[in-house]
Amino acid sequence: MKREDSTIKQKYGKDAGFKVPDNYFEDFNKKMVAMLPDVEITPVDIKPTMWQRLKPLAYLAAMFAGVWCMMSVFSHITASSDINGVRAVAEKLQDDKSNVEDFMMSGAVSDYDLLNYEDSVAMSNEEYSIDK
Amino acid sequence: MAAREKYDEAQVVEQLHDPKQCRMAFGKVIEHYSSQLYWQIRRMVIDHDDANDVLQNTFLKAWTSIDNFRGDAKLSTWLYKIAINESITFVNKKKVMNQLSIDDDESFLVNQLESDEWFDGDQAQINLQKAIATLPEKQRLVFNLRYYDEMKYDEMSEILGTSEGALKASYHHAVKKIEQFLGETD
Repeated sequence: MKREDSTIKQKYGKDAGFKVPDNYFEDFNKKMVAMLPDVEITPVDIKPTMWQRLKPLAYLAAMFAGVWCMMSVFSHITASSDINGVRAVAEKLQDDKSNVEDFMMSGAVSDYDLLNYEDSVAMSNEEYSIDK
Repeated sequence: MAAREKYDEAQVVEQLHDPKQCRMAFGKVIEHYSSQLYWQIRRMVIDHDDANDVLQNTFLKAWTSIDNFRGDAKLSTWLYKIAINESITFVNKKKVMNQLSIDDDESFLVNQLESDEWFDGDQAQINLQKAIATLPEKQRLVFNLRYYDEMKYDEMSEILGTSEGALKASYHHAVKKIEQFLGETD
């Protein structure tokens, strides 16, 4: 893409035509350091402390620990609710099963027992009419 | 010739706050930044002797307020800010000395360029400097930082406290005005 200043650059370049005396910067640096007045510097340890360095990692670890805790609590709740559900279904099935067994039990009454029962009823009726 | 010690900014900033090492560390800062700050100042004040004075004031100001520098910003940003403020203050003082209004442009600085022994440019370069001098202060700063130093807009934004969008617009306007000025001059 053509830069907007390319026309100026092409015609005038980047050299402004300014110059400095020979060894100007070397001399300036020496003179400048020599003329620095005494100043009071408050010692400041701007080196980051161990905690400042480890803080981001600690926060990251705490975040992961929090997420892990939440996940484990959530999965525990889900698991226990599953067990309760299974238990309820099992109990319900148990009830159903006992009903079925009762029903099955009724099937266990034999014809012989029924005849005996009818005979005993008939005999007691006869006894009742004789007494009368 | 002794090999120049590698400049490590983080280490230098640390040393600047140690009373035993601060002077030596500031020497490293001067050595590292004097050239780039000089050229920025020179393009603002034009004259070499004036640029030399402003550069000295810049480093003196930085040195005397080094306690306030906590390393939150880059050292270069902080130094550029001081240098630009010192340059603007200097140019305004010079305008007052020349009985000019603060709102007048800086063309008066360029008028002495032809007689400056530390200028070896041709007429085209004088014309370009004249064109730059007609720009408002902010546009002039933005133009110099971008055109000559190729400074990135985000860095410029930190130094000048202006949004990148506004700086891009300033540069665009500056380029257009310079092209127009040079078109009329040629």
